[in-house]
Amino acid sequence: MSDKVLKKYKIVFLGDQGVGKTSLITRFMYDTFDDQYQATIGIDFLSKTMYLEDNKTIRLQLWDTAGQERFRSLIPSYIRDSNVAIICYDITSKKSFENLEKWINEVKLERGEDVIIVIVGNKSDLNNKRQVKFEELQELSNKNKVEIYLETSTKINHNVKLLFKKIAKSLPDFKQDEVQPETIDINIDNKPQESSCC
Amino acid sequence: MSNMNLTVNHNRSESGYSNNYSLLEMYGASDEEDKEEIDDHHQFDNVMEEIRANSLSSFVTPLNSQTIPKILSSDYDRYGFKKASLHQTITRKEYNEWFTDYSEYSLERMKKWKDLVNSSGIKYDDIPTRFPPKSDKTKKLIRRGIPSEWRGNAWFFYAGGYERLNKHVGVYDKIVKDTIGVKNKDTEAIERDLNRTFPDNIHFNNLPKDSKSVKDPKDIQDNDINNKPMIKSLRRVLVAFSHYQPQIGYCQSLNFLAGLLLLFMNEERAFWMLVILTERILPKVHSRDLDGVHIDQGVLMLCFKEYIPQLWNILGKNFEGEVISEDKILTKLPPVTLVTSSWFMSVFVGIIPIEAVLRIWDILWYEGSKTLFRFSLTICKYCLDNKTFKAKNDNDSGNTEFEQIEIFQFMQSYPKSLIDPNKIVDLCFKKIGGYGFGSISQDEINKCRIFVSKQRDKMKKKSLITNISEDERKMLNNDEIHDIYGFNRSIMNGVKWNNNISNKMKKRFSRKTSK
Repeated sequence: MSDKVLKKYKIVFLGDQGVGKTSLITRFMYDTFDDQYQATIGIDFLSKTMYLEDNKTIRLQLWDTAGQERFRSLIPSYIRDSNVAIICYDITSKKSFENLEKWINEVKLERGEDVIIVIVGNKSDLNNKRQVKFEELQELSNKNKVEIYLETSTKINHNVKLLFKKIAKSLPDFKQDEVQPETIDINIDNKPQESSCC
Repeated sequence: MSNMNLTVNHNRSESGYSNNYSLLEMYGASDEEDKEEIDDHHQFDNVMEEIRANSLSSFVTPLNSQTIPKILSSDYDRYGFKKASLHQTITRKEYNEWFTDYSEYSLERMKKWKDLVNSSGIKYDDIPTRFPPKSDKTKKLIRRGIPSEWRGNAWFFYAGGYERLNKHVGVYDKIVKDTIGVKNKDTEAIERDLNRTFPDNIHFNNLPKDSKSVKDPKDIQDNDINNKPMIKSLRRVLVAFSHYQPQIGYCQSLNFLAGLLLLFMNEERAFWMLVILTERILPKVHSRDLDGVHIDQGVLMLCFKEYIPQLWNILGKNFEGEVISEDKILTKLPPVTLVTSSWFMSVFVGIIPIEAVLRIWDILWYEGSKTLFRFSLTICKYCLDNKTFKAKNDNDSGNTEFEQIEIFQFMQSYPKSLIDPNKIVDLCFKKIGGYGFGSISQDEINKCRIFVSKQRDKMKKKSLITNISEDERKMLNNDEIHDIYGFNRSIMNGVKWNNNISNKMKKRFSRKTSK
């Protein structure tokens, strides 16, 4: 590592149970795939240094989350301060697609417009079981002003690299030559216990 | 509408914990469920046959001079788990090195157990069904590990499984019968987790039989996995449980608990063990609002502060790097609970290597829930004592969110390398050369749980009464999203905290220790 402070970004992975969040992270982190991953309980923390074109390096902190609804009670706390929220669904599950807006709303509620929302339709290799058309993804993304959306297959390694490339390019102040990670507002001013309620 | 949800949830959690659960009461109320049109009788006979067939088979390879070399040459351990863990935290070679010693140790343990059982006048053929009464000697032996061949029976015995089973003869079969073909939110969630419970275990997944060759995904149909007897058992236990305990339903992590139990006992017994665990050992931890998670994490944080103050200095901070002051521990549980919550929910399954999990389970069924706190403290302190952790902390001081997360990553990955269970048990209990956490009593934990729970109730009440805007009230009712972990704003506002939490706790602790 150089003496330059690495620019760090926090990315949370959201979406219904079993849509492939862990699988997507594993493909990105280790470039491997298994048919089944153990269900994630709570949150798994991972990080990866990404080397980009023109010699830039960034550090990504990935938050892998449990998809079941009751675990959602943890969500507001971890969406806070995230730079990117990757919301995943399974193209073979209409229901996981229908729940996307719930996830989008929860992210917006917590982060307003300060977060890059990305929608990923996973398991695109299972085309014969497809329940969600790509056009539906386009429509939903346009409606919610989501700019980065695509279908991936972690199994056949389709679009995963592209996904993270796109994300890296859209990160705030990516082009600046920074020494201090000042743009990440980890030291936000409001102290929750003191802020007034209305 | 949203207010109604809150009330319903509340009632559910109130009603759930009675021992004399009436099936009629339960099934009378299950009108939301669709029941598929099927030939119930025929299907039930088939299912019962399956249950009986499964109850005869054992999933644990017994240890003897013939089996040990076989286990050593296999890719899988004696429970069917892959020896080499994910991302090679532990390699097959490392596993075998450890197992060569540990199998000797286990054989020696078996001798000790046979001696104790014989000297207690217990007669048995192959595996005892009754075990020596509780005593210092038994406790000592339990802490050194129950032989895996006997584990299922011993767990069931010490957890009070027989009492439970004898009071509810035939109830499991009845629930299974009544839930055939039932579909609801819980069963859907269960279906999605069945194949994601132990994907690296041959009993739960179709894995290549001991070859270096990589499995070709095309060779294996999903249907095959679903036809595995173990997966069918797991489904029945989880579905039955979700119906028997509607205030819990299905919560992710219950699949790990049921799955591990099923490797050691038949499904009826696994079912009752799950009931005992969620009622007595981890009350409300898996409930729909995860209330028990918050309570137990509050207790754990108080234990951190009390017993490992140097760790509290590092982890007792919020993401802004501020140390969480004494009066705010319960309102603002520190982010580290994002790591430790799952330790409780899964009772360490998937957190540390399997043999260490089993050793903790041995102790848990015998000694109770304090075991979870003792071992959570042990694992944390073990992380703290590691050089990498120290280095991280010296450099970073954990003052920003990113630095804290790096610490959390370490706390999640490092315990996975704890291959020797004797190490962690010794660290936990030994006063010299260990941390001596055996001094934390169940009484202390019980009192602390009640205390934290009462504080939470007060907090909830106050936050509901004090001026919350209509929007915030809506948000609160909507899955109580702000309720856990206390990072968030609205629910915490207007709450005047009792400044004496820590003092009170200290008094309690000192009263206890001075006795």
